[in-house]
Amino acid sequence: MKSLLDYQVSEPLPIREWVPSDLQVRQYAEATGDFNPIHLDDDYARQAGLEGAIVHGMLTMAQIGTMLTDWIGEEGTISKFNVRFEQIVRPNDKITCSGSIKARSKNTLVCILEASNDKKERVLSGLAYVTLKS
Amino acid sequence: MLPLKIKLEDVRRFAEAIGIRFNDRVPATFVGTLVQANIPGVELPAPGMIHGEQNITYYRPLCVGDSLNYKKCVKDVYERSGKLGKRMFVVLETTGYDLAGELVFASSSVLIAPSKEEGE
Repeated sequence: MKSLLDYQVSEPLPIREWVPSDLQVRQYAEATGDFNPIHLDDDYARQAGLEGAIVHGMLTMAQIGTMLTDWIGEEGTISKFNVRFEQIVRPNDKITCSGSIKARSKNTLVCILEASNDKKERVLSGLAYVTLKS
Repeated sequence: MLPLKIKLEDVRRFAEAIGIRFNDRVPATFVGTLVQANIPGVELPAPGMIHGEQNITYYRPLCVGDSLNYKKCVKDVYERSGKLGKRMFVVLETTGYDLAGELVFASSSVLIAPSKEEGE
């Protein structure tokens, strides 16, 4: 199997595809205590100017996190994980999480991160530092 | 400082909610759940408030069973005008320490709200 050390600058990471559902949004609200009605109530979200309920940004970030940990396996840990939420994600959107290597040193890989929807709009961009186990 | 115990059942529930198989590891965004905790004396303009940015730094990996203390503060509040009108930005910072007082993680959230006068 390919080791993290084999990844070169600009090489892509394995992608993760994800389709959030209303049920998952509710489960995430229950697991985290974030019951902000913009995520759970279409009418409320419309009144707040959002055209319907939106997925928690942190749930989208968690999918990028999963893409990273599936790729990292036991070879390292995430030491820095920064994202910007650029577009709203709604239940049933088809989201593709992707990334590539931006820079590397002896024990760190710097990764560029991105999530986009099926309209090819970028919904999230970010950066992660992966520290390799010595 | 508030106590924070990384409990197995909380991590498992979180892992299931984000759609992964729980394997004793703490998902990197788990500490983001603390964003919701209230800060005494601070009232955020909740309706229509959205999450703009999230930055998490780990100084060491977090494990199930860890006992930490954390504190939250409002780091910054500012207004900016853009194509969506005037919006207010609130930066919340959460920092977690182990029981020896060593920094374990720092997490900052940028929340964006429409400015109040906009609707008037």
